[in-house]
Amino acid sequence: MPSPRFPIPQGTLDMLILQILSLEPAHGYGIAQRLEQISRSVVQVNQGSLYPALHRLEQKRWLRAEWKQSETGREAKFYSLTPAGRRQLAVEKDSWARLSGAVNLIFGTAGEEGSR
Amino acid sequence: MIQLFNWFRRGALERGLDREIQYHLDRRVADLTAAGIPEPEARRRVAVELGLAQVREEVRDVWLTRWLRDFIYDLRFSARSFLRSPGFTATTLLSLALGIGATTAIYSLVDQVILHALPVHDPARLVLVDWKGDQVVGGFGSWNLMSYPMCRDLQQQTRFFDGVLCRAMTQVNLASGGDPKPVAVEIVSGNYFAVLGVGAALGRIIEEPDDAAPGAGPVVVLSNDFWQSEFGGAADIVGRKLLINQHPMTVVGVAAAGFHGVDVGAVPALWIPASMYAEVYPGSTDVQDILHRPTTWMQILARLRPDQTPARAQAALQPWFKTWLRENMLRPGFPAITADRRRRYLASSLQLTSAPQGHSTLRRSLAQPLWVLLAATSVLLGLACLNVAGLFLARGSARGREIGTRLALGASRGRIGRQLLADSVLFALAGGILGVAVAPLAIRALIAFLPPGEANALRGNLSIHLLAFAFLASLAAGLLSGLAPALHAGGGSLASSLRERGGTGSGGVRLRKLIVTLQVAFSLVLVIGAALFVRTLTGLLAKGPGFETSGILSFAVAPVQTGYSVTDAARLIRRLDEEVRALPIARSSAAARWAFLTGGSWNNEMTIQTDRRIVTGNVHLNAVTPGFFTTLGIRILDGRDFGARDSRPAGKTGFRSAIVNEAFVKRYLAGRNPIGLRIGQGSGPDVKPGTEIIGVCASFNYRGLRDDSEQAFFPMFEGADAGATFYIKVLGAPDQAISSVRRIVRQADPRLPILWFRTLDDQVSRSLTNERLLATLSASFGALALLLSLIGLYGVMSFVVTRRTREIGIRLALGATGASAIRLVLRDAAAMIAGGIAIALPCVAALGKLIRSQLFGVTATDPAIVAAAAAVLAAGALAAAFIPAWRASNVSPTNALRLE
Repeated sequence: MPSPRFPIPQGTLDMLILQILSLEPAHGYGIAQRLEQISRSVVQVNQGSLYPALHRLEQKRWLRAEWKQSETGREAKFYSLTPAGRRQLAVEKDSWARLSGAVNLIFGTAGEEGSR
Repeated sequence: MIQLFNWFRRGALERGLDREIQYHLDRRVADLTAAGIPEPEARRRVAVELGLAQVREEVRDVWLTRWLRDFIYDLRFSARSFLRSPGFTATTLLSLALGIGATTAIYSLVDQVILHALPVHDPARLVLVDWKGDQVVGGFGSWNLMSYPMCRDLQQQTRFFDGVLCRAMTQVNLASGGDPKPVAVEIVSGNYFAVLGVGAALGRIIEEPDDAAPGAGPVVVLSNDFWQSEFGGAADIVGRKLLINQHPMTVVGVAAAGFHGVDVGAVPALWIPASMYAEVYPGSTDVQDILHRPTTWMQILARLRPDQTPARAQAALQPWFKTWLRENMLRPGFPAITADRRRRYLASSLQLTSAPQGHSTLRRSLAQPLWVLLAATSVLLGLACLNVAGLFLARGSARGREIGTRLALGASRGRIGRQLLADSVLFALAGGILGVAVAPLAIRALIAFLPPGEANALRGNLSIHLLAFAFLASLAAGLLSGLAPALHAGGGSLASSLRERGGTGSGGVRLRKLIVTLQVAFSLVLVIGAALFVRTLTGLLAKGPGFETSGILSFAVAPVQTGYSVTDAARLIRRLDEEVRALPIARSSAAARWAFLTGGSWNNEMTIQTDRRIVTGNVHLNAVTPGFFTTLGIRILDGRDFGARDSRPAGKTGFRSAIVNEAFVKRYLAGRNPIGLRIGQGSGPDVKPGTEIIGVCASFNYRGLRDDSEQAFFPMFEGADAGATFYIKVLGAPDQAISSVRRIVRQADPRLPILWFRTLDDQVSRSLTNERLLATLSASFGALALLLSLIGLYGVMSFVVTRRTREIGIRLALGATGASAIRLVLRDAAAMIAGGIAIALPCVAALGKLIRSQLFGVTATDPAIVAAAAAVLAAGALAAAFIPAWRASNVSPTNALRLE
């Protein structure tokens, strides 16, 4: 079943996770759902790559994890942002903004040239 | 680092991940069923969505990183496969453990004796101050001797030094209630502890005021060990009075634990300030006003300022030293010297050498043998590695198919090589652990070789240092022995390895032959070394000291250390001499002022009066009683022995007569009749040669068995003898005389301790400590090396025979004889042996230069020894190769062909 949504670009998953967790702590499944909602089903996140990413971020000490009761009453592993994670998010947002700005600029100029 | 840590808590991590994923699955399934999808379908879809196995693997990679996981799995795989072949594992482990254990044990001594910095504050800034040139002024002590005033003057050089200390080792009689006994002491300048930065565990250390003026500080500081062993760590030790050479001194403190002075190999029981020199060195004529005279008797160590280097300070100090040299000549006690001598004296310079390990006489004598032994054990370890490499190669060839299959399934060659490397590293580490387990035993056995006085400074314990060394040695051994098999697995064609039939892989025969050749070379080097050292020892023992040693007992006393004046001491020694001589068990007996074969001597330059004045180099001197030469069986070649008339008449000074040895005559009086010539001690223009040469004795060894020196002897009993060593020629076993001698000494003075009882045979063997250490150890290393290389050769030849079984079978079927099959195999072995010998010989020639000073009566390239060692090795190797060759000749053609 081919998906109409395009796959998430390499390396942006970490940033999205940090962004989601900057709002409030969440468990893995919650993050998966939130990713779907936020990206309005435009971006496809391979659920399999979510957990390695979470563990990688935890190992880098950008995330902290603890077992807490979830909304269904079962224990779930909740991730939250550490101060280092917050700083990292700012850095990534900034570099993303600059990158997309630059790409837009290039596309914008190229488009004008093409229309001429 | 985190990754390594994760390895140890991977169980908890796995469980956490399981729960986390389970939660995700359950929620997802619940959501999907809520949306109307039947549960089995929902479960299937979720499993696909998530890719469970994939997720787990990827998360594990995050935890451990890929290479670490692989490596750990490799290690586990290796361990499992080793446990399946215990015979192989045991042989390999044993050879590695022997190699690593021996290397670690020798390194422990190298570390303790040569490399270990003193346990003092910032030892790196310590320098030894030494004199280069002609010191003119004599003294007493071991090496690097300087005068006390020199130390005081250097202390003013604060531009270069944060402090300058001086110290000397000696022995005193210590009494603390019971019988006096000899103990080692360090006599030190007042700032000794302050400069070293060593504090007191109890009370205080020696301080400047204790050393302000002669006699100012009758105080001692005990070493922590001595305080524990002798006083049981008594808390009220401070303030107690001890009798040092019968002089009361007060204990003011105990030094910090672990501090044993600045001389590795000499452990002082206590420290005494230099101001008390008269009490520490009673009755010696050398010791007069030595705090002001230029007499040399102490070593000087200085602490450089942080902004100085030894080279810079040394250069900058020379102008000061030139002035100092002239001032020094004005000190009382500086001898009158000739103009020529004066020029040489003034050309002297000061030398600063970095001395973080302090000053050590033990290091001086033991450093070279230890380096030689460390080199030998390293070769041995290398040999063990080669053996392991050979075994791995053999194992690798047996696993050729497995490896070929893995390669075919897509494993990279690097990955396979790494697996093999993991094998050998695991092995080496296990061998290292075994080696470290046996190392303390080996170290203690090594220390037992040394005479007790030196040995008690050394410890058999393992230190962090040592463990690190053993770990690095093991790792190096692992990499070394794994490299060849790993590279081998990396090369070679995949197709051919799969095509080969089971169990007969190429096995890197060329590589294994090369390894065996190297092994033969290594072990030949060790065997030749062993033969050289054994020859040296037996040569020295056979030569002997030039006098009779069997049946002779010696003992020593030092009455001045028990409070005697020199006149009374001389009287006591004379009485002991007469009584010992009268013992029924004594065939004859004599006494000498200085003991022989202890490494030390009394020496001086001499002036000979012939038709002109001849000034000699250093001549070794001694004073002996009449009958000395007969007792020791030394021939008088010319003239006569001392007699009663040689004693000096009352009121006269200087020796009346002398006996010189053959070497003295040969060197200084060649062609002259020495009898009747007059000689005098010293070299200055004011020396009056007043001693008549009355005899010439055969040359014999004074300081040690290698020493060939010019000697002169004077009669004893001239009223100035601080102590004496007695030599008794005993009827029967020497030990039987001990009790009678004890009784005589006790009757003469119950407080007088006997410093030692020793047979001369024992003394000879003590003087050969280093030679024995080298001979014994190198012989055992040589034997081990031989064994290892023979095992290697046997292994490779067996392998070759197995591989060529078919070929040999065909040859035999076609009419070749069994003998020709044997020749076929032995020719292979002979090539390896010859190759090994060809590699070893140039190495022996090169290494021989390094050990020349340790040899006696033999050169490193001695043809007889080299030939004998090569012959032994070749014979052993051919024997080892003969077994597989014999098997080859017994191959039954039908069986060999059926093998296919």
